Amino acid sequence: MQGKSGDRFDINEKLNGLPVELRLRAIDRLKVERLRRNKGLIYRLLLIIALIGPGILVMIADNDAGGVITYAQTGSIFGIGFFIPFVVLMVPVAYFVQEMTVRLAAVTRRGHAEMIWRRYGGFWGAFSLIDLVIANTLTLITEFIGITLGMSIFGIGEGYAVLIGILFVSTVMLTLRYHKWERVSLIIAFFNMIFIPIVLFAHPDWGMVAKTFLNWNVPGGLSAIFIYVLIANIGTTIAPWMLFFQQSSEVDKGIVPADIPSGKRDTFIGACIMGAVAISIIILTGTLVFGAQRVGSPSSYDISFILSTIASKVGMLPVKLFALGMIDAGTIAAIALTASTSWAVGEAFNWPKSINLPFIEGRKFYIPGLISMLIAALIVLAPKAPLGFINLTVQVIASIFMPAALLFLLLLVNDKQIMGKHVNKKWENAVMVTIMGVLIVMSGLYGISVLMPKLI
Amino acid sequence: MLDKKEYGFIKNDEDWKKFLKKEKINDYSSIRVRRAKMKGWAKIAFIVLRIYIIIMLIIVILGFLHIV
Repeated sequence: MQGKSGDRFDINEKLNGLPVELRLRAIDRLKVERLRRNKGLIYRLLLIIALIGPGILVMIADNDAGGVITYAQTGSIFGIGFFIPFVVLMVPVAYFVQEMTVRLAAVTRRGHAEMIWRRYGGFWGAFSLIDLVIANTLTLITEFIGITLGMSIFGIGEGYAVLIGILFVSTVMLTLRYHKWERVSLIIAFFNMIFIPIVLFAHPDWGMVAKTFLNWNVPGGLSAIFIYVLIANIGTTIAPWMLFFQQSSEVDKGIVPADIPSGKRDTFIGACIMGAVAISIIILTGTLVFGAQRVGSPSSYDISFILSTIASKVGMLPVKLFALGMIDAGTIAAIALTASTSWAVGEAFNWPKSINLPFIEGRKFYIPGLISMLIAALIVLAPKAPLGFINLTVQVIASIFMPAALLFLLLLVNDKQIMGKHVNKKWENAVMVTIMGVLIVMSGLYGISVLMPKLI
Repeated sequence: MLDKKEYGFIKNDEDWKKFLKKEKINDYSSIRVRRAKMKGWAKIAFIVLRIYIIIMLIIVILGFLHIV
């Protein structure tokens, strides 16, 4: 009998009998299974590397062009006194929130948008989808601004910079299937760590950096600018799109409940890298730019002023590396946001929803993400585009959306019918509710502060 | 094409079926998800969320009118 003896069993024949997206996922999972069955340090290491991906990607993509600018502004306005310990505190917060998406993905094997739509109905499904797609498109604009700003340091014009960005992100998404897409994205994400060695150019006083943890205080006391920067830092650490992106990405990767510990490790590593990059940028500008202008001076918010101050103190090399970091941050975030839009739309309308699909078969999946990217690129290139207004709208939408996104996350991860033994423990809920409370208050304050600055 | 020797742990049809079942390759989203019934704290949370969204939308409209 064929297959019983194993003599005529052909695994490639079996794989070829599967639809393309399942075939590719099965191959990826077979590779993981093979590594699991092999003993030895090398195989253990290879298994860890094979299972990393969405957690690191989401955390590093969160250090996007807007995030990099925010951290640079934070250091230049307030120095390192308050915000180094604060960012350290935000690392477990980001991990806590994102780790839940790993469990949801492994157990339900459905994306966040699909779960909201099916579990809480069309109204909340449509609300989440519309918010996410608008926020992603507007955030993509800030990524293209970051890419053009970074490339301008190397003399590349705005039009070419945007074109290079579009071509690169489209090529990665359309020509690579999930495993390679993830690996290439991880390599791009790796270069986000360029911000860590740049800090050495500033020759920071490491003793002072250590002392910030002992003497944690707000420089100049509580002020409207401080609250604004504080909320902006929270907003750059945790954002609604991250929940949707990581859950969909874990589903497309094909993780099962047995992979939850690996997914958590992946998320933890990502959160640590995110924190290290953020701290490096704050130390860099906190050492070189802080004090160059009085607190609250419009110049201290201006990234051009920040870069020119760095150049005047330590030369052009760190500025060029910083510009490369900006290009990389914008690119990795653009890749993540484009995929996030495609996944969410596919999940909401029950369309094909996998990066394992070739373009022709998965065109319904790819087109929404690509359209959102093209709209963002065209807005950046449009003469007299109200970029300040767009940036403000991004923050407002995120402010409105964040509480809803966190509530759905908390409800889903506590749903015994769905999650079974993987529901949150009591202490996890207590921590999550505390985080939610702070984030909701801060998000609300941020929404109000950007629209009605006189109120705060 | 996979190297058959490297994937020798799947020797026959039964192993293949076990692998597909374990990884839920053919039945990917096997957990049924039905519309949830809102009760208890979840019901209150949704009411609070609706109020929050309405307040934020009013602030947004007022803010944008102020900017324009």
